[in-house]
Amino acid sequence: MIIVAIVIFITAAEDVSAYASFADAKTKSSILKVAGTLSKEKPMDYDPENSPNEFSFFLIDADGATNQVVLSKPKPQDFEMAEQIVVTGQMQDEIFVANDVLTKCPSKYKDEELSLKSEI
Amino acid sequence: MDKVQYLGESLWQGQLAHAFVILGFCSALFAAFSYFKSTQLQRQGIRSSWTTLGRIGFGLHSISILGLILLIFAVMIDQRYEYSYVYEHVSSDLQMKYIFSAFWEGQEGSFMLWMFWHIVLGTIILVKGGKWEAPVLTIIALIEVFISSMILGVHIELGETIIKIGNNPTLLLRDTMDAPIFAKADYLNVIQNGTGLNPLLQNYWMTIHPPTLFLGFASTAIPFCYAVAGLWIKDYKGWLQPGLKWALFSSCIFGTGILMGGAWAYEALTFGGYWAWDPVENMSLVPWLILIAGVHTNLIAKSTGYSIKTTFLFYSLTFILVLYSTFLTRSGVLGDTSVHAFTEMGLEWQLVGFVVFFLVLSLILYFSRSKDIPVKKKEESIASREFWMYIGSLVLMFSGIIISASTSLPVYNSIMEYFDPEHIGRVINDPIPHYNKYQIWIGVFIAFLSGITVYLRYNAFNFSDKIKKISTYLIASLLIAAMLTYVTNMNIQYFSWQYYILAFSAFFGIVANLGNLLFSGIKNIKMAGSALSHFGFSIMIIGVLASGLNERIISKNPFVMQGLIKNKDLARVVQLIKDEPLFAEGYWMTYRGDTVVGNNRIFTVNFKEVDLEGNPLDSFDLYPNVLYSNDFKKVAASNPSTKHYLSRDIFSSIASLPKTQMDVKFMKEMEDTLDYRPYDMFLGDTLFTSKYYGIIKNINFAPSNDEYVKESHDFGLETLIEFKDIKTGRSSKVKAALGLKDNMVFSYPVVADEFGIKVKLNEEAFTNYFTPENKLEYTEVQMKEGETISFQGYDITLRGFNRPPKNPDYKAKENDIAISAIIDAKKNGKQIQLEPVFLIRNMQPNSIKDYDVSTGLHARFDKVDPKSEIFSLRFARDNRAEASLPIQIADGVPRTDLIVLEVKEFPGINFFWLGTVSMMLGFLLALWNRFKS
Repeated sequence: MIIVAIVIFITAAEDVSAYASFADAKTKSSILKVAGTLSKEKPMDYDPENSPNEFSFFLIDADGATNQVVLSKPKPQDFEMAEQIVVTGQMQDEIFVANDVLTKCPSKYKDEELSLKSEI
Repeated sequence: MDKVQYLGESLWQGQLAHAFVILGFCSALFAAFSYFKSTQLQRQGIRSSWTTLGRIGFGLHSISILGLILLIFAVMIDQRYEYSYVYEHVSSDLQMKYIFSAFWEGQEGSFMLWMFWHIVLGTIILVKGGKWEAPVLTIIALIEVFISSMILGVHIELGETIIKIGNNPTLLLRDTMDAPIFAKADYLNVIQNGTGLNPLLQNYWMTIHPPTLFLGFASTAIPFCYAVAGLWIKDYKGWLQPGLKWALFSSCIFGTGILMGGAWAYEALTFGGYWAWDPVENMSLVPWLILIAGVHTNLIAKSTGYSIKTTFLFYSLTFILVLYSTFLTRSGVLGDTSVHAFTEMGLEWQLVGFVVFFLVLSLILYFSRSKDIPVKKKEESIASREFWMYIGSLVLMFSGIIISASTSLPVYNSIMEYFDPEHIGRVINDPIPHYNKYQIWIGVFIAFLSGITVYLRYNAFNFSDKIKKISTYLIASLLIAAMLTYVTNMNIQYFSWQYYILAFSAFFGIVANLGNLLFSGIKNIKMAGSALSHFGFSIMIIGVLASGLNERIISKNPFVMQGLIKNKDLARVVQLIKDEPLFAEGYWMTYRGDTVVGNNRIFTVNFKEVDLEGNPLDSFDLYPNVLYSNDFKKVAASNPSTKHYLSRDIFSSIASLPKTQMDVKFMKEMEDTLDYRPYDMFLGDTLFTSKYYGIIKNINFAPSNDEYVKESHDFGLETLIEFKDIKTGRSSKVKAALGLKDNMVFSYPVVADEFGIKVKLNEEAFTNYFTPENKLEYTEVQMKEGETISFQGYDITLRGFNRPPKNPDYKAKENDIAISAIIDAKKNGKQIQLEPVFLIRNMQPNSIKDYDVSTGLHARFDKVDPKSEIFSLRFARDNRAEASLPIQIADGVPRTDLIVLEVKEFPGINFFWLGTVSMMLGFLLALWNRFKS
């Protein structure tokens, strides 16, 4: 039983890692998770008419490095509002190609509170 | 500052509800204490009046919580937005059928729902519990103390720090928010509407899933309470029977609740499956697994006397894990690892206290009674059923530990960061394969064990004796299972050896349990429940393998794959242009159109399945839809639509729409970037854009533009333009319209999607076609009845009179003297009728004009001379002779008739549902058998 537990622990440890930075992603070829925030200055591009499977944007990682990310999915809803974005994928020629994304959105109540406060 | 005297508030509901909150908490405390005293005396054989006091306490608690719930419902139904909870969860457009959903959308509401179920279950035990009433209700009341403290909303000042206990659901909006608007006494006139229910949650699943799941949560407390009671009053065996019944009940309801979540995710959300190993899903699954382990050891304990301690530990663990799961999902600690939205309430420490209290209680009780609990000295024989059942329970526990360990990674990170701020949090890279790789083996073990135990009996010792009897059956089952694995492999791909083993073990479980169900289940109904459940489990595994491993993406367009992503396997969605069929993966898909119903925009997509030669197999329509936010400003959610076959499901959902259709903001942005060019046109004129040309085919006064609603306008103007492409010969007819309502002009532009052209009619078109009253040049005529005159080419006849007038603009009043003239106007064989009104009201002569929009004729009736029978009339006509049509045209407009669709095929999904339903029915059957015996 203990042996099984140890084996599981060791194999599970391989599945786990800290959030990577774009600098890490450039040196590694494995699938990584990069957490960051959306760059508001750089363009966001989703063209459903021509390439519905591609959504391109720029992400600023925890180290402050900005890199283009191409997600192989349609643009998620409320993407602009996300407080934090976590992309899963790997580097391909200076572009981080992601197959998955998780966005953390602010609670809807905060929005409402702001709109109420602005009403006189 | 003076206190503002607020207007329009209704405060008594809130004050009464708040009293109920406090009473609910205090009475739970009182009930717990009384029942505790009662139990302690009962142990010495003394019947005391503490029991009655306990009942009074629990009764008061029940009344308080029920009263509180009713009051909150009442203010929600009344839409009293002065209450914060109402403001946050209700809006005026909320349909009444979603009022329950709105109630338990909030954390406070779900705590009340949880308490409600404890009250229901507790009342059953109060009536039927017998000697277990006092000890069990002591614990239930204690649990209620903790949960009701979550809605207490008390702030305790300890020096500098303020400790907040619970969130009070009866607070007023002005107490929870600090905004300048609350300086006004009549602020309620400004707040006419609440935030409302999240559109995602506006479906029937939100009505049925939470109450079922919370009954599941609440019911896990009962076996736990019995276990604690058993150890407390040192009746180590007596609690096993009622404990088992309640555990079976809980397994069934809790399991159904979890499955409803899966069904919801599969049917109504776009998670693309019934299970995603999301932390919230995991943390409801784990206590259920441990509960099932407990049911098994409970059965062992009841039949053989082994594993009483283990059962206690499993039931305790189940309940503590339910509390832990509450902590995880409500404290915000899961953060960005889950797709479920979490709102932090600031109750983290209170929730931790809740978990720790019952953990410590269980441990203290366990260790203080441990030596006392009867333990069977003899080892279980390997040939006995209890041995393998025990192993099975351990496997389930193991499964639970692995899942919760991985799910708790964010908790571990938080703890590490608490001690070491430099600690870098870790996350699971790819959760689904991570969980699957362990749970495969759990599935293999469970399926095998459930098959083997069929052949074994309790308290059996002689293995060699047994083996002869069962080996024939066993070998036959194994052979059939191997055969089934081989045969099904033609339809289901298993990909790797691990999955082959899982399939094989599941088939073994199916064969063994089905055999058992058919051969002995009919004779011995007592066995049927377990056989049915285990059969269900194995079938479920086959369903998971079939639908999960063989899930196929249909929405792959092999031709359009330019751009940055080279890997074609990543293509998951296709774009469909209206009425242009697209072929992918054996299906012709055509987007046919859309309709708007309420907040929903429903798209019709036709699917034609063809075989390899292109012969049609089947044709069906699916209706995926998007849900707009309550203010209709943007798309809030997408709801899938699924075609169900017996052997597979075809799942479709809208992955995206053109930007301008997703959000009003983008629509405005796009409109600003368009470069409109003005044209001044007449009927039949031709205009040229940069690539195409168009002809003004028609100008009319009865618009039929898609957005124009005839009833809500006084009158309208529309032009029909036909655009043509010289190169291809394609053409498209579009209608742009204007409408007038109460002197406001509304514009209804139109987009010719194929040409990327947008057409707007200028407002001046209206003044060109309709001359305002003060610019009209009336011609006055004196006429007799039957007389015909000529006016601007029209033959105008005064045909007769209506008394009273039938002109709809005339609204009759008392003492009116009113008459209308019936006038025919004829030109080129076309005839129209006008009915101007002459009216004397309050001694004043008046006239109500009549107007015909198609001819532009205006008629007024001014005077009646009764003696000479001569009538004064006035006629005028809109100046349309030189009326041009000013329009604006932009090109390069993005298409609007486009959807981005995701289509998937789930083969064998019905095995999953069949399996899970059988499992639940198995629990129900087992429970029913225990009630009968």
